[in-house]
Amino acid sequence: MTPKHPFCRAIEPDLVATATGEAGTAAARRVEDHAQRCAPCRDELGRYRTIDAVARGLRHATPPAADEAASRAALRARLADLRSRVLTYGIVPSPLGNILVARSEQGVSLVEYLGEATTLAASRLRELADVETVESSAEIARLRDELLDFLAGRRRELGWRLDLRLAGSDFSRAVLQTAARIPYGAVTSYSAIARRLGRPQAVRAVAQALRRNPLPIVVPCHRVVGSSGMLTGYAGDKLGLKRQLLDVEGVPTRPAARDFRVRRETMYVRAGEDRAYCLPTCGDLPSHSLADLTLIASRESVEALGLEPCSDCRPDLHPIAS
Amino acid sequence: MGLGLFDDVVAAHHPEIYRYLRRLTSRANEADDLAQETFLRAYRAWQGLGPDANVRAWLFAIATNLARNHFRAEARRRRAYVAAGERRAEADPAGPEEEHVFRETRALVDRVVAELPLKQRLAFTLRKIHDLDYEAIGESLECSPESARAHVFQALKKIRVSLNGHELPALEPMR
Repeated sequence: MTPKHPFCRAIEPDLVATATGEAGTAAARRVEDHAQRCAPCRDELGRYRTIDAVARGLRHATPPAADEAASRAALRARLADLRSRVLTYGIVPSPLGNILVARSEQGVSLVEYLGEATTLAASRLRELADVETVESSAEIARLRDELLDFLAGRRRELGWRLDLRLAGSDFSRAVLQTAARIPYGAVTSYSAIARRLGRPQAVRAVAQALRRNPLPIVVPCHRVVGSSGMLTGYAGDKLGLKRQLLDVEGVPTRPAARDFRVRRETMYVRAGEDRAYCLPTCGDLPSHSLADLTLIASRESVEALGLEPCSDCRPDLHPIAS
Repeated sequence: MGLGLFDDVVAAHHPEIYRYLRRLTSRANEADDLAQETFLRAYRAWQGLGPDANVRAWLFAIATNLARNHFRAEARRRRAYVAAGERRAEADPAGPEEEHVFRETRALVDRVVAELPLKQRLAFTLRKIHDLDYEAIGESLECSPESARAHVFQALKKIRVSLNGHELPALEPMR
């Protein structure tokens, strides 16, 4: 190109902007005025206008619709797969330390005690191969509020839809489903759950499944104790949390050796699947192990189960003093 | 959970994002992969997106970012340029009403664009083909709106130079 007049060079950005419809009014007027007088710039302006029009014409060039449709179909399949693997989580500070709550599309899939830790680094989510994690406190907000209400004793049921895929096996899932039915304010034993599953010998396996419960609090494994009434263990080494949770639900405990024991002498009793409930002193109940008993902390909890008072010991007439 | 909404995002924006990536890569399977990756990434970040976010600009930014990484990896493997000449053949249904000169020029512009430095090419494509504003282009290219504008300007100048000595189609009076 021939060397341009300095003025023409200076006005070039505005000229291009004018040609492509991006110049302000003042700049455009300046360019137009100049182009009136300067033939090369007039020519330039025309050329840039053509280029702009041609370039905009490129937007009408579209790939075959079938390609786009095929790509979108493939995307939908991959999204469906991703959705089934994504866990949205949030970390909730609570009286029991920080608690990670994670949910999938199917339901709540993990409740995990993090203690002092505040990040995913401390979570078992990190070790799960097929899981993708997305942090979103907003998505967890409702769960957080309900969980905190529960831990403060303001809410008796969580009623969350659960995703039990993180349970290790079908047996573990069955154990969790059974434990999930233990009512608020009640305790039962590992053996009772084994019996309910029709596997009375599988007490240790039941205890193991509950020890690895991916949904503590929600699946209330804290309501499961040894046949002697000892709390025996919780989420590894977190016995104190088990006692706190029972305390929230009004289940009395007292120290015993290095453990705690449920104070069964101050709790109502339901034998097996009876429709009646008794005082702890009824008949030979005091000599029974907890293998086939459920202990219930309060009249309120008893009533929530719709049980009738035993016609022998009449717990309705002689309520346990709390 | 806003997942239903994400289906709407896919429905609303996939065609355009796909078209954008197809134009950049010129290969159906690469565009396919990049478009899928764009939306999978978007899905993962979707819940963190504010209610006022410009979803379209955001998707373009993700797509652009992936495309740039793709080209970097590509460039490492082989110094290959897009065969711009052959790509229009499949994608451009030139109507009979279209002037021969216009078609020629368009093919030429297309080829020049394909050979522009990447940032200029991306900025040009986002501005001229997809009509994004400079704010959004800046987000896509991780630069200021002013730099984005400069990239488009440079691209136009290069196209202009490459058209030297070329007959240009007559333009209908614009004003």
